[in-house]
Amino acid sequence: MARVPFNDMIRFTDELLVTHKIFDGLELEPLNTYLGMDTQPAWEYKTPLASGFYKPYVLKGSDKIDKITYGELHYMGRAKYCALNFTASDDYDLPIFSCEFDESAPRLSITVDLMPVVDIAVHPEYREKYLDPLKDIWRTYRTLPGLTKDGRCHVQRRYAPWPWARAALSPYPIDGRVEEPETRLAVLDAVVAYARVWLDLMKKAEPIRDPAYKREMITRKRAVQKYFRELDPGGEVIKKIFGAEKQKLFVSLIF
Amino acid sequence: MVEKTWAPYCEKMKEHLDQLSLVRLTQWQGADIAGAEHSAGPGGSGTVQAFTADKIEKAAIARIMAGDAVQYGICTIFPAEGFDLPIYFSRWEERADSISILVDLVPTVDSLVDEPYRKKYIETLGPLWDKYSNLPGMAPEENDAVRAVCSIVYTAAVIPIEREGMRLAALAPHTEYLKKYLEFHQSAVPVEDPQKLQEIKRKIAAVKATLRDYFKGALAGPVGQGLGAGLSEQLSDILL
Repeated sequence: MARVPFNDMIRFTDELLVTHKIFDGLELEPLNTYLGMDTQPAWEYKTPLASGFYKPYVLKGSDKIDKITYGELHYMGRAKYCALNFTASDDYDLPIFSCEFDESAPRLSITVDLMPVVDIAVHPEYREKYLDPLKDIWRTYRTLPGLTKDGRCHVQRRYAPWPWARAALSPYPIDGRVEEPETRLAVLDAVVAYARVWLDLMKKAEPIRDPAYKREMITRKRAVQKYFRELDPGGEVIKKIFGAEKQKLFVSLIF
Repeated sequence: MVEKTWAPYCEKMKEHLDQLSLVRLTQWQGADIAGAEHSAGPGGSGTVQAFTADKIEKAAIARIMAGDAVQYGICTIFPAEGFDLPIYFSRWEERADSISILVDLVPTVDSLVDEPYRKKYIETLGPLWDKYSNLPGMAPEENDAVRAVCSIVYTAAVIPIEREGMRLAALAPHTEYLKKYLEFHQSAVPVEDPQKLQEIKRKIAAVKATLRDYFKGALAGPVGQGLGAGLSEQLSDILL
């Protein structure tokens, strides 16, 4: 097992924005207020324990986006907790793109997924439209060493202690833990591939026309957001470091 | 030469199902299904039986032999209208060198939104889900549509058979999940909320449609041809 020193850990946002240019062609505009909260404290922060940023945006001239957030929390020069979230506005039924990319010396923990905002057992057409585009990517990356180990494939298992979180996942999550530096980079490639699928779906998305379907969609979407904002154990760590007020802002931007 | 012994999948499932005081179904939605109980075609044979019981719309068990190369087993249990019990779904695909399994209690509501349902029927299976995560060959269910209707506690694996005792061991997830189902069945009471009943009805219909497509795809291949037209055409109707 290779241990990766802090300075050699993946520069998550630089890789996404500069190397892979995932937002090229999109005009991002800073989101200054979110759910009535001033987002400024999130754009750059520093305490004796942690430093970093969560930067939320919307898309200039578009009503499709609730928020696009990327960010990194660097903890005591030991670990990086990185996040990427794309959430559509409530007029669209796009899945929630969610990525946790947490790197420490011994391992990288990853969850990247397009979380459905309707019950896909009831709406198989939703799965076909928004989630099935991931099927080949999922089958490629789920075999990475660590995600598959000793002949067992462990995806859909990283959230084992949190049933509410597992219930939010699509049939195509990339989640688990990897160790080797080259595998960590391959995981980053998976994040890029998933992000590109979502951004492509977003470009083609049409507003919801059926009010009953929209109510159903919003019920599930709010339930997912409530769970992750209130119960994600990462939120407790953020609360200890930054206090309750900033925790509320940060977790709302991350999820 | 040692003759190969198939695992007693159907026998074990039936043994547990008998606790439900089953009543044999010979007709389903106006069609005679008794005639399809046993079938043989050019490349295989099949047996399927359907039952009803208190609180249960239908419980069915099927065994299909594709020549002497593969034994397929399916067991389904659908709750009667008015009950929120999950759907029991078990699939068994046994070859000389491996057994592919899937077993689940498929939720009949949105188990993300309906937290009490998830805690009652799904999270209580957590210890079994954990236990079987150590199965050799444990992996997500391969069929995307089927995986999409499964709960968060389904168990799936393609278990390599390295010694004969593993065939019996591979039956354990099916029987253990079934035992939990039978516990839930005992304590099930009718749902009073008309909105919840509507949700359950819609979800069960959607799950049946997904499974019907899945069986249709599977039976379009050599398995269906081997069975002969009689059973192949009726199998989905009997199981779902």
